[in-house]
Amino acid sequence: MKHTLAFLAAALIATALPAQADDTLDVVAQFEIQSPEPSTTGYIFTRMGITETLTHADPQGVLTPGLATDWTADGDGLSWTFTLRDGVRFHDGTAMTAEAVAAALDIARTKPGPLAKTPITAIKAMDGAVVITLSDPFAALPAYLAHFSAQILAPAAYGAEDAGVTVIGTGPYKITDLAPPLSLKAEAFDGYWGPAPHVPNVRYSAVSRVETRALMAESGDADFVFGLDPASVARLGLSDAVTVHSVAIPRVLLIKVNADHPALSEPEARRALSLAIDREGIARAVLRYPEGATQLFPPSVGAWHNDSLVPLAHDPGKAKELLQGLGWTMGGDGILTRNGERFALTLTTYPDRPELPLVAAVLEQQFRAIGAELTINTTNSSEISAGHADGSLDLGLIARNFGLIPNPVGTILSDYAPTGDWGAMGWQNDEITDLARSVGRGDGGAPARARITEILQTELPIIPIAWYRQTLAVAKGVEGAVIDPWERTFGLPELRLSQ
Amino acid sequence: MTDAVMIPRRAGHALRWTGAALVAASLILAVVGPLAVPGDPLAQSLTKALSGPEPAAPLGYDHLGRSIFHRLAAALRLSPAIAIAAVLTAGLAGLVLGTWAAARGGWTDRILTMLADALLALPGLLLVLMVLAIVPGTAPGFWAGLSLVLWVEFFRLTRAATRAVLASPAVQATRLLGFGPVYVFRTHIWPEIAPMMLTAAAFGTATAIMAIAALGFVHVGMRAPTPELGLMMVELLPYWREAPLALLSPVMATFALLLGLTLLAGSRDT
Amino acid sequence: MNTLVTRGIQALMVAVLIGAATFAMMRALPGDAAYRIAAGRYGYDNVDTAAADAVRDELGLDGPALPALLHWLGDLLRLDFGNSLVSGQPVIAEIGHQLGASLSLAAVAVVLSLIMGPPLGILAGLRPGGLLDRGLLVVSTGLKAVPQFLMALILILILSVQFRLLPAAGYGAARHFILPALALALGLAAVNARIARDAMARIGAMPFYSFAQWKGLSRRQALLHHGLRNVSVPLLTYLGLQFVTLVEGVVVVEAIFGWPGIGHALVHAIFSRDVPMVQGTALCLGLGFVLINTAIDLLTARIDPRRAA
Repeated sequence: MKHTLAFLAAALIATALPAQADDTLDVVAQFEIQSPEPSTTGYIFTRMGITETLTHADPQGVLTPGLATDWTADGDGLSWTFTLRDGVRFHDGTAMTAEAVAAALDIARTKPGPLAKTPITAIKAMDGAVVITLSDPFAALPAYLAHFSAQILAPAAYGAEDAGVTVIGTGPYKITDLAPPLSLKAEAFDGYWGPAPHVPNVRYSAVSRVETRALMAESGDADFVFGLDPASVARLGLSDAVTVHSVAIPRVLLIKVNADHPALSEPEARRALSLAIDREGIARAVLRYPEGATQLFPPSVGAWHNDSLVPLAHDPGKAKELLQGLGWTMGGDGILTRNGERFALTLTTYPDRPELPLVAAVLEQQFRAIGAELTINTTNSSEISAGHADGSLDLGLIARNFGLIPNPVGTILSDYAPTGDWGAMGWQNDEITDLARSVGRGDGGAPARARITEILQTELPIIPIAWYRQTLAVAKGVEGAVIDPWERTFGLPELRLSQ
Repeated sequence: MTDAVMIPRRAGHALRWTGAALVAASLILAVVGPLAVPGDPLAQSLTKALSGPEPAAPLGYDHLGRSIFHRLAAALRLSPAIAIAAVLTAGLAGLVLGTWAAARGGWTDRILTMLADALLALPGLLLVLMVLAIVPGTAPGFWAGLSLVLWVEFFRLTRAATRAVLASPAVQATRLLGFGPVYVFRTHIWPEIAPMMLTAAAFGTATAIMAIAALGFVHVGMRAPTPELGLMMVELLPYWREAPLALLSPVMATFALLLGLTLLAGSRDT
Repeated sequence: MNTLVTRGIQALMVAVLIGAATFAMMRALPGDAAYRIAAGRYGYDNVDTAAADAVRDELGLDGPALPALLHWLGDLLRLDFGNSLVSGQPVIAEIGHQLGASLSLAAVAVVLSLIMGPPLGILAGLRPGGLLDRGLLVVSTGLKAVPQFLMALILILILSVQFRLLPAAGYGAARHFILPALALALGLAAVNARIARDAMARIGAMPFYSFAQWKGLSRRQALLHHGLRNVSVPLLTYLGLQFVTLVEGVVVVEAIFGWPGIGHALVHAIFSRDVPMVQGTALCLGLGFVLINTAIDLLTARIDPRRAA
């Protein structure tokens, strides 16, 4: 009994202490740590500054030197040389050699991920450089090497069958304790090649519930809270204890449409659905964003945003006319029918991003207003992919990342040239495939990009709804926080604790 | 731990009546409410999001501009409906199997008891979660899972009481007189177990409603936009500062309903 | 001895039941397991058919059912729980990781409930019908009707959001224990208090207890020597039964507070179709329950030798 009382007393005293009485920065986000495997959990390691890639990207998407200081392609574009940075050490003290880099990249491209989709034929270690040979010219290659799955780990990090067993990276922070699925601790790595980070210790905690994350930010139990829901952003904005950051990112909330579905095969039908959506209302009331999407790419992705496109509009009357023109007639229950078929669709979505089910609920009402019946299926995100593969998906409400690599052409290639699990379904357009490949090769420029966005806007194989904003709450006293629109890093090395 | 020791009989009666009144009140809200103030639990008007009460929506609007009153009424129909369906199924199964086990004895009895004991060793929520993952559809999944959890209690009660009754001289006399098992069940067994069954049913209903709400609250139960008590709470939690009444409505309703059922069941602590 | 045999059979039944149920889950879960596992591994930005195919090849998810079931149960009997489908780590290692967190939370909750409940119950039981007794009845009835998730919600709203006294989530420091443990403990304490009160009232009314006072023991001595021992028997029995409620509570409360324990892992495993993890965690919870009840059987037999017969 005495021990218990002592414990309780200790607990109460601990409670009274302020949350941030140490030199550890508490980072909280929704992502759970699976294992030390870079192809699955690697994005947490890169964001936390534990591992690095050959190339990095600035907020505008311009590639900057990472572990490679320079890269060039030879004349026919089939061979790329990446000059490696001198004096880089892994966290186990060994030097980063060209052999180690080549081996890490070779392992990375055998695993599922963007690298597997590049035309790489071989990766060779040379003197202070790696040489990557391709079967086809591919100008976007350096951007692919900025993807987290291309992170460079020491040879000792891999076990049997090339699975990641420990995380031995080169970043400014070095893991001291990895406890999947919920936490990791790291300290500043004294052998780092760049400037030493200001905060000596960082801790990452995965908190999957957005309500809880917001509460942790509010109560000061975490210093750096990533991914907040719209309501919490509004609430935390009023708080003195935290600063809320919000930045437009190349991620788009959109409806993936099965163009093989009898009700959705005509472009007019897809346009009618698009006209039924009140994007402005969804943006302001549900997402609490300043604006709704008017096309696929937000203005922040300058090279792909196309000012000459006619903006996507809200016009239910026009939508009904379009559907009438396709032979749909209003049934007694307010749902359209054609040849005995009801205009009834299932919208599949997933709760990982809290705003998706909310937007789905709004869409259900807005589609009903033009006579389309929507059943919402909120399930695991994998059902989108599975439904794409077996053709059972009608509509999918998804948040698609066009910044998987810091160049949207990567996503365009995998989603629309010709189809993709998270892009076009049952819709093929030879012109867009050719154009996307030419942009990927490097010989298609602004006109090709403009034409791609124009085709997507008129054919609507996917229906854009809103441009995402990434949100972050930072405790007062933490300075220098910046959101990376490409979602590659938390920017921890630049943070300072002012106390 | 019988009521007689715990609470004076009059107080016990008063508690039960309070319980009945609370349950009745929530059911009246659920059934009569939408008749008195017509409205749609799913209809949204985004411009009214989180605004306060008005005649068409006596409890105000939620974050999507849906009437909380009508969502609450729908939720108060949904959970009890699933719960009662599960309790009826479980009660019937428990009654039949329990009487059967007690009457037959031997291996029938042993196997059924072993199965019941094994199920008793599994947390109910775990079973419901697993059944939900196997059965397609959330409401049928809840019904099946909860029935599987709840039958054990009815089975054990019935079996114990039936064994005692069957061994009594009165039943042996009845049997000697040539009356069949149905007669024995009606005149001897049922009167003995009926009060216990009602108590167990009230507890079972409360358990079922709690399970549905708890799983809804952690996002593994009913799915949006279905109005469900736990789901409503978790949806409205982020808006606590802006619209406290919106969150308090499902919280108070759930508490009243569960308190009512607990009181109705009488005090029984295990 | 008899107790041990019965409990042994119960444990075996639990294991077979969970083995069969998780196998059925593996086969019958709606949707394609490979996709769901791939989503768990690679995240929603990267799940696609290629990733799912890689998972399918690695795990051999295509195959006839019957040999798979036999293989499954065979592994189970050899206590080989396999590897988590999502993380690739051995299930047993992951559970070892999480069990500590869950047990410490459950232990703190039980201790808290025992500090709050029984003392109040005994005081109330000493004077049945008194003010304390009636007040306790109202409070405990109210608390019993509040499910743990609702308790958690109310505690978060009051202590965390409104007054900012305690963290709403987190793990590691002592202050992280308070809210989740309290959410579990209040419901347990409500029932503990009632049981202690009933037992005390019953014992207080018994002739031997009056005799103890009559022979000259003070109230305090009578309570310590004769009261507490007799009150502890129903309390212990009850605690064993209450373990199931506690475990259910742990599942929900861990999910709400982001507590890295078995309950959290179980909900997650069910979500991402990580069947070996489901099986491991479910077995752990079920067998844990049987084990605790066996211990309690033996313990009550110690305290109250009449029951040992």
